[in-house]
Amino acid sequence: MKSHTRLLTVLDRMDNGPVMEEKDFDKLISKTVRGLIKKYSLKYDRSEAIITDDDLADRFFEAGLELACTTGVYCTDTHTQMIFSKEEILQALRWAPDALTIGSGLDQCTIVTRRPEDPVVPKIVGGGFGAPIPEEWFSAVMESYAKEPVIDSIVGCNFFTTHGRTPKTRSPWEVLLAWREVELIKSAAQRAGRPGISIGVVENAVSEIGELSGSSYGGFPQCDWHHTCFVSELKTNYGLLIKVAHLVKTGCIIHSFYNPILGGYAGGAEGVAICAVAGIIMECVVNMATTFSICPTHPFYNCDTAPELIWAVSAAQQAVNRNTHLLTTVMTSPVSGPMTESLLYECATMATAATVSGTARIDGVRSAVGVEILHVTGLEARFNGEIAHAAAGVSRKDANEMIKEFQKHYVPYLDKRPIGKSFLEAYDPVKVEPTQEWLDMYGKVKDEVGRIGLKMKY
Amino acid sequence: MEQYYNKLMECVLEGEEEEAVEITRAEIEGGTDPLDIVQKCLVPILDDVGDKFSKLEIFLPDLIMSADVAKAVKDEIRAHLLSSSNGSESSGKVVIGTVQGDVHDIGKNIVATLLEVNGYEVIDLGNDVAPYTFIETAKREKVDIIALSSLLTTSMPYMVDVLKTLDGLGIRDQYKVIVGGGPVSAEWAESIGADGYSNDANEAVELCRKMMAERKAG
Repeated sequence: MKSHTRLLTVLDRMDNGPVMEEKDFDKLISKTVRGLIKKYSLKYDRSEAIITDDDLADRFFEAGLELACTTGVYCTDTHTQMIFSKEEILQALRWAPDALTIGSGLDQCTIVTRRPEDPVVPKIVGGGFGAPIPEEWFSAVMESYAKEPVIDSIVGCNFFTTHGRTPKTRSPWEVLLAWREVELIKSAAQRAGRPGISIGVVENAVSEIGELSGSSYGGFPQCDWHHTCFVSELKTNYGLLIKVAHLVKTGCIIHSFYNPILGGYAGGAEGVAICAVAGIIMECVVNMATTFSICPTHPFYNCDTAPELIWAVSAAQQAVNRNTHLLTTVMTSPVSGPMTESLLYECATMATAATVSGTARIDGVRSAVGVEILHVTGLEARFNGEIAHAAAGVSRKDANEMIKEFQKHYVPYLDKRPIGKSFLEAYDPVKVEPTQEWLDMYGKVKDEVGRIGLKMKY
Repeated sequence: MEQYYNKLMECVLEGEEEEAVEITRAEIEGGTDPLDIVQKCLVPILDDVGDKFSKLEIFLPDLIMSADVAKAVKDEIRAHLLSSSNGSESSGKVVIGTVQGDVHDIGKNIVATLLEVNGYEVIDLGNDVAPYTFIETAKREKVDIIALSSLLTTSMPYMVDVLKTLDGLGIRDQYKVIVGGGPVSAEWAESIGADGYSNDANEAVELCRKMMAERKAG
């Protein structure tokens, strides 16, 4: 793949970059971000839900590009800064794919570049994104996503148990976790009538062990999308780069994510947006990814739906989607769980904000921030996707006002952790159908979202 | 004291380490009890800084900068306290640290310092310490007391993990476990089955003295 030709350069920079203490790199990030906020006059506006100004979006892009050029990415194993020149970075952005076909056979779909306010409908990914699931219910939970027609691709949850045991990462158990994921997620897709649907993998590979094993012979194929990431802020390590090297050499699609932390070295909402832009740019350069996800994290709620973060996501996405053709993705990671109205309003907020900001693929939903056992279902992912379909082509100005209304329905509950009910209570887990109570709640919120002004298509 | 408090607050917020040390030295030489500086100035200032962070009025780099200043002040105080203490036999052995997910260590450092000057052998694991690291260290070093600190509510559950793991390993009764830090309360300590809670560094020393007396008696 033409965007995968930098591997040796990347490894050379890893070995031979300027040596620096990690804490000094952290300080460099903080100092540089603060300087860029002043230089480019970037200011979080609490009165707006998302940004609606092209010039502001472009300034965020310039700031993010400058941060990427200044700090590069830090490798915590070699203690080196992996620095690339501006020309090298722009070259990498130039040759990144602007379309990507995933999956196989009748279940193939193609993700394409989008711009802010683009009428083209983004592609939809459904899944629990690492939420803990006991293995006996893993396949049913995954089927609840695969059977939703609005969902184009699925992504797994994490096993709370495997083979009746409590697994440990970075041990032989991680190999078994990866293969249990292969087995159960593929059977879920098969039962849903979508044997070729593309899958985000290897979700249970906390270290490189699971990825290397789960994408070997008989495991997940190249046309699935394989995860790697950066650690906050703008850091990598041998384990993550081993994944990259393996995926490049085996011709797999690379999906890279990066989650700047609000209140950390990035600072406030403006700093989170700058780091997110820099992160996406450097994921293209260093990780040679084809799709790029951000899920900035709130330090106390652990979600990405707090107002500051919605604003930051809109700024970063508009910055990247106006100035590059990268295939961007955003994941909804709400505080609320299944069978709560607040969950659906968190989804409506993030899916609308990302879609009107030009995001190419809308992912989710990691309900109850992915930490409550079995607290995810396919219905909220359906809703997340339907919102994205409805928001395609909506102006940012209109979306801004709608989101302000959506936020009234969940922001007061962010610190209450309304985790809702488990999959076993929200669904008939054998028939894999939502309960009438959950469907009624979904219908009620859909009606309200329409009343607020977002015209649902389905 | 009020003038010193205001100056120290400025130094903490602006990251002025050298000036903070200088005014602290002058305050002690002027006759102020070093422990009063800790209890009446440093601790309230750090509480205020922690409160600002919890509201995201300041960010992690500001917090670290404040912590560096406070550490410099604490080192100055420690030097004065050590020079006036006698080096008798160990009062007990304590492993102390800030639990996983939390990088605040100033309150914990003050406790560690006061325990040292009161004759305890202290193993300070620093901050963001995984539950099992406390236990491994306690076993290896044969400590008497495990002291857990947290300034963030989101990190407090890791205190529960330490206690659960000790239970799971069947070694809970070999150690006294004490907890403290901004949001930690006596009720919380009791609810999770900790042996003790202290509201400040002086109380922590008293608590450890009580724990050691119990161990020797029992």
